[in-house]
Amino acid sequence: MTKFMKAALASSVLVASVMGANAANAATASADAKANILQQVTVTSDGSDLDFGTIVSGAAAGTVLVNAAGAATCSASIVCSGATSAAGFNVSGTESATVGVSTDASVTLTNANSDTMSASLTPNVTSIVLDGTDAFVVGGTLSVAANQADGAYVGNFDVTVSYQ
Amino acid sequence: MTIQRFRLLKKCCIGLGALASAMSLSSTPAQAAGDLLVAPTRVVLDGQRGTEVILNNIGSETATYRISLELRRMTAEGRLEDVTEEQENDIERAAKEMIRYAPRRVTLPPNQPQAIRLGVRAPEGLPDGEYRAHLLFRAIPVARSVTEQNAPEGGFSISLTPIYGVTIPVIIRQGNLRATAAIANGRLEQQGDGQALTFDLSRTGDRSIYGEIRVTKPGTSEPVMVARGIAVYPEVGQRSVTLPVPPEVAAQLKGPVSVEYYEPANSGGGLIAKTDMVLR
Repeated sequence: MTKFMKAALASSVLVASVMGANAANAATASADAKANILQQVTVTSDGSDLDFGTIVSGAAAGTVLVNAAGAATCSASIVCSGATSAAGFNVSGTESATVGVSTDASVTLTNANSDTMSASLTPNVTSIVLDGTDAFVVGGTLSVAANQADGAYVGNFDVTVSYQ
Repeated sequence: MTIQRFRLLKKCCIGLGALASAMSLSSTPAQAAGDLLVAPTRVVLDGQRGTEVILNNIGSETATYRISLELRRMTAEGRLEDVTEEQENDIERAAKEMIRYAPRRVTLPPNQPQAIRLGVRAPEGLPDGEYRAHLLFRAIPVARSVTEQNAPEGGFSISLTPIYGVTIPVIIRQGNLRATAAIANGRLEQQGDGQALTFDLSRTGDRSIYGEIRVTKPGTSEPVMVARGIAVYPEVGQRSVTLPVPPEVAAQLKGPVSVEYYEPANSGGGLIAKTDMVLR
């Protein structure tokens, strides 16, 4: 707490000294300025989600793979249509900091009737040395059962950026 | 007094948060709910009783964040793996029990920072050593009802929501601990569609070691590459470090280089280990 107080006080001291300089040049005064700068990290979504598009299941099971570029590869047994994308994230922090990237290995998707599907997840990197323009994407492979029930399937998966 | 202190803290944090969000906004125009900023990125308590970590909502919508204490173990590849409750050992359990933190759940409007207080209560007769847990900050996604979605006729749609977050280590040191490190076996490796510098970092002693790697060519003072924030934790005696390098840097690295491991500037900046090697 005290460190932040110091930081807060420092900023007010700086403001005061700037204002003082404008107001009166004759008097001189000295003051200590202190600031506690913390190293920070930010993680933001770039707006694109992991999207497997629209799929029509067939008599046989199949898979849909969405790679890091967001392009889909669809088994012959199922029909895929619509735009696909990989989930994208931006990371920023201290330059040259090394961070790890991990995701859940798989995610279960459920529809309103409790039918399920599973998808495996793959991040395109497992560690990043930050250079100011850092991003990573998460692609995956969706396993579609034979005659998979229709519906809107939803699921959540964890993506973690870790500092050592 | 407490209220006054809190006001001061709030004032200072808003400044910090505003600055950070301004920086991130310039590079990422599209912001989703759950975007977050965490500072600092590592906490070491060596005698101190506590500190604070700042969490800021840098998204454009109000978001709820959950803060939890997790255990991770380093693998020989330097990755941090989850430790389940059954796998916990005595040191890990002790670390989890002595760290107090609050709040554990917080709802923040955009650009609203919140200080998470961390305290340590070491039990009587705690054996000397290093105790560590990882603080996980994660946004809780807004619940979506399945029925809200329009199910396409004769097919299905899929909606996957990422829950993304950050972990930072919280390290508690008890007693006078020492450690040394050594670098060996450096090489350039193919990794995915790029190249990576890989070497082994070994550690001896009773605490973790942490610092930055600088790779320099003989006769030059500017390092060709720098990687900060590389640790070897006490549960491993040796780990490999794999640093992805862009092609132009990989070309420069070939040949004789010197790989140096330095303490971070805020803890002295001393040289921990140095090895000369030839990379191919």
